[in-house]
Amino acid sequence: MSTEQETETPMVEIRNVYKRFGDLEVLKGIDLTVNRGKIISIIGPSGSGKSTLLRSVNHLEVIDKGTILLDGVQVNRPDMKGLAFERHINHIRQNMGMVFQHFNLFPHLSTIDNVTLAPRKLKGMDKKIARELGMELLNRVGLAEKADVFPNWLSGGQKQRVAIARALAMEPKVMLFDEATSALDPELVEEVNLVMRGLADEHMTMLIVTHEMGFARDVSDWAMFMDGGVVVEECTPEKLFSNPDQERTRNFLRKHLGDNH
Amino acid sequence: MEFDFGPVITYFPTLLQGLGVGFLVAVVVAFMSIVGGLVVAVISIYINKFLSWPLRFFIWLFMTTPLLLQLYFLYFGLGEWILIPAIMVGILGLGFHYMAYNADIFIATIKSVSGGQYEASRSLGFGHGATILYIIVPQAFIRSIPQLGNNMILMVKDTSVLSAIGVAELVYASQYAISVSFRPFEFFIVIAVLYYVINIFMELGQAWLERKTAYRR
Repeated sequence: MSTEQETETPMVEIRNVYKRFGDLEVLKGIDLTVNRGKIISIIGPSGSGKSTLLRSVNHLEVIDKGTILLDGVQVNRPDMKGLAFERHINHIRQNMGMVFQHFNLFPHLSTIDNVTLAPRKLKGMDKKIARELGMELLNRVGLAEKADVFPNWLSGGQKQRVAIARALAMEPKVMLFDEATSALDPELVEEVNLVMRGLADEHMTMLIVTHEMGFARDVSDWAMFMDGGVVVEECTPEKLFSNPDQERTRNFLRKHLGDNH
Repeated sequence: MEFDFGPVITYFPTLLQGLGVGFLVAVVVAFMSIVGGLVVAVISIYINKFLSWPLRFFIWLFMTTPLLLQLYFLYFGLGEWILIPAIMVGILGLGFHYMAYNADIFIATIKSVSGGQYEASRSLGFGHGATILYIIVPQAFIRSIPQLGNNMILMVKDTSVLSAIGVAELVYASQYAISVSFRPFEFFIVIAVLYYVINIFMELGQAWLERKTAYRR
């Protein structure tokens, strides 16, 4: 795939998205386009709506207004109901990989089965071929030797790497990371970041919600600061993290980065 | 008083027959109550709100009335209209009774599986039903093993209640032998020991299963 194509084709389009939980409006007209092969980081204080936005892309949160498209196909379909929508959204979700803060690995399945369950059951992949694919993915996240171990025997960092391999098994068009390293002990963060950097090198389209400012700055093509359900500022990560235009962004970064920045 | 275990030895084949009948009943009831309990739990939690209320009523009814009364009701009550063999009534009665108890366990353990598990499965593209089947139910089942084991131990002991409606299990079989040998004490001692041994094996099996599945929870 040429770089030209990468920059030109939108993979995820978020248009004028609104979401409220009861009286609380958490998303107030968000727009964002993620082009193919690009990495966008979303930062912001807790309660800013960044996780809700990410979860809306996968329809884990149902938006009240607006449009979300994946590779040109509309994700939210208020016109569709019941089984028809269920089929539609299952199909859409097979093309998106989601990584959660608390890993959510399936504890009753071995590591390899966690990775291969979806391709086997959803794509009807042969068990032997699925195992080969699973081993390849576990190898990619550096955990091939843990294939037949159960999640409870893994460290947090290892669990999250397996979760990434599980999400990759369906060959998604985009990967969504919802604070993937926030629940980890500091010394385990780097091994997960390393895997995510590997994906970046392979030009995986990624939408990353994170508190890891250094990582966001290094890895992303575009950075977005959200607060109070709106996009306060978006620009290149170099600019956002060193010379943001908005006072709110500066205040947030000052709190998060300390005095040395 | 002197013990004389001679008649127990003479009638041991009869006791073994009773043991066989009890075993058969226990196996069928275990299967019926576990599978049925799971189905009742899944339906009442996920499938249908309108179906859920009669099912909860069923659970409540079987949990708040004595097993013996339920058996009498099924055997003598329904016997007014339809004649069902005692062993069938015993299996159905015991089966429904423990189905209610097992459903109660499954409802609790299904609800204890975190919402994150459901979301992770859905995010991979699994539908609602597939998520319940592949992710929620297996985890709930593993979490249910300790309590299910306890229920099944109680159930095995409760097969003795079926003697009241004439199912020829262990206690019923002994009653015949006692009536001809006049040695109730010896027979009851032997029967108690038999139940005790069965229970020990069941407890060992349960502990083994719990150990085998602990790391999958």
